[in-house]
Amino acid sequence: MGLNLLLVEDDAALVAMLERDLREMGHHVSVATDGRAAIEAVTRDRFDAMILDLMLPTVDGLSVLQRIRQDGMGLPVIILSALGRPVEKVEGLDAGADDYVVKPVTAAELNARLNAILRGRRQPAQDGDTLRAGDIVVSPARFRAWRDGKAVDLSKIEFNLLLELVRNVDSIVTRAMLLEKVWGYDFEPATNLVDVHIRRLRAKLTANGGDDPISTVRGVGYLLPG
Amino acid sequence: MKRLRSLHALTAAFLVAFITATGLTGLAVYRATHGTIVALVDRRIASVSGELAAMGTHSGTTELIRQIGALTRERDTGDLGLLLTTANSRFLAGNIRLRRPLPEGFSTVDRALGVKGLSTGRALVRPIGDGLILTVVAETEPFDDYNAARARIYLFGFGSIILVVVAGVATFGFVIGRRIVAMRRTVEAIVDGDMQRRVPVDGSGSAFDQQARAFNAMLDRIAGLMAEISNVSNDIAHDLRTPLARLRGRLQALARRAERGDAPPAEIIAEIEGAIADSDSLLAMFAAILRIAEIEGGARRAGFERVDLGAIAHHVATTMQPAAADAGRSLVDGDPVHLPVAGDRRLLAQALINLVENAIRHTPEGSRIRIVAARAGDQALVSVEDDGPGIPAAERARALRRFGRLDGSRASSGHGLGLPLVESIARLHRGTLALGDAGPGLRAVIALPIAP
Repeated sequence: MGLNLLLVEDDAALVAMLERDLREMGHHVSVATDGRAAIEAVTRDRFDAMILDLMLPTVDGLSVLQRIRQDGMGLPVIILSALGRPVEKVEGLDAGADDYVVKPVTAAELNARLNAILRGRRQPAQDGDTLRAGDIVVSPARFRAWRDGKAVDLSKIEFNLLLELVRNVDSIVTRAMLLEKVWGYDFEPATNLVDVHIRRLRAKLTANGGDDPISTVRGVGYLLPG
Repeated sequence: MKRLRSLHALTAAFLVAFITATGLTGLAVYRATHGTIVALVDRRIASVSGELAAMGTHSGTTELIRQIGALTRERDTGDLGLLLTTANSRFLAGNIRLRRPLPEGFSTVDRALGVKGLSTGRALVRPIGDGLILTVVAETEPFDDYNAARARIYLFGFGSIILVVVAGVATFGFVIGRRIVAMRRTVEAIVDGDMQRRVPVDGSGSAFDQQARAFNAMLDRIAGLMAEISNVSNDIAHDLRTPLARLRGRLQALARRAERGDAPPAEIIAEIEGAIADSDSLLAMFAAILRIAEIEGGARRAGFERVDLGAIAHHVATTMQPAAADAGRSLVDGDPVHLPVAGDRRLLAQALINLVENAIRHTPEGSRIRIVAARAGDQALVSVEDDGPGIPAAERARALRRFGRLDGSRASSGHGLGLPLVESIARLHRGTLALGDAGPGLRAVIALPIAP
């Protein structure tokens, strides 16, 4: 799924790396290196999403975001932050950002988050219904999960992990995304909590036979194919 | 006006004003007393002269001459000079003779008049009819050179006041000046880099002394903060060098192997992942440093809400149990307790996760770790205890210092910021982190005030 992306970032090395990797993933990438250029670009052309650094020359990222939202442009925006202060995050989300990532950031992380945002926009949350990914069915309302028609007994954390993977079926979900969604943490513990709990989840999903349904994407996160 | 801002100029201006005012006051007092005496003397001679004139008119010249003689002999009027003459200055009666004629009415007289025993005085000359002239003279000085003596008294009196004030102002200026100079020298020395300098304190408890003490206390605090910054920078530099050097070595070796082209891709990938892990640990260290700075900034307090510390402890236990099991340690959870506190759920979870990770890292395999939540009076307590080797009491304070990893554990993983981070989170919540003995093992207790 190739997207038309606007990358707003003034760090040339980071731009070069992200631009190359995002293109490799099939996206079309335009670059703006300061806030004014970003506003011009987004007014002139149509983009599917914007990746926006906060600390920018001429006009800062937050002002760019406020400006384009005032002008009624609803394109998805992911904020890049160097410091990761909660205040910034709250300000960014209040100003209309869809997501917020702390540097260092990889194209894979951005790609996964873009997919999640666009998926969320395409189909409104359907937490009342059951969700399906391959032979896995989850019911958020009843806190139950089934594989191949058989109920799987999961802890709360394992259930939420599975739910997040099912919601993003066929897309990579990164560790940072899972930490935010499942645990609500804004920090990364030294312990790799995601891996530890995914291991438990895998064991329970394969207890009654069957292949491991969860794919590991090395260095990025996990993926549940549909 | 600009010149008056200096201490010396102010003092000089004050002294000039003071001396002028005092001098004028002295002069005015001198003049006023003199004027009063003259008025009193004038009234007396006018009264005597009036009585005699009336007597002359009613009783005749002979009786008047007799009366003048009597007055000069009586004790209360004997000091008066009386003279009765004819219009052409022929002496009729009295106790004085004049060297020169006096004008009619009041006049001031002195030795030049030639009256024996009179230095300065007043005279009243009046015609009393029948061609007779009556002169009454009285001293304005109760004794000789009275006015000179009076001037001397005023000079000494007011002069000594001026002297005392001048000396006081000079001393005052000197003392203040000395203190200010001492303080300025200290400040200059500190600006020049000598942080050990202090303002001299004399122990008198005076305002100056208290000022000097307060100033020194401020300098002590600054010196303490500087030492802390210097320690932390040293520690950061030291702790960054090791993983950076390792990372560099790894990348260098990797470049050489890739150049030779004989290494299997799997090995190269493993090396690269090792390098990524090295940089991740560096990033984790920065994250911890930034996190501590963020917490100590206190801004997170704005987002505090009522949370259940007991529930957070239980949640951390369930989250960390599989990790502990994977590492070969058991993690058990105490009975659930409701502990309402005002706080930040994520920070409190991070603090407890840090304590559990710390326990896993510093105990041998097979150890048992317990998370216990409890209420003690108005305190919410969560303790994380293990049955490992613990930390000797003498070294616990150092364990809480940033980068204060204990000797021997430097080789082990962790960036030495775990416990300081937990402590700063506890402090942000107006609570404490205490390290104790779990007998055996370490007991780390977070104590926060219970929310009402």
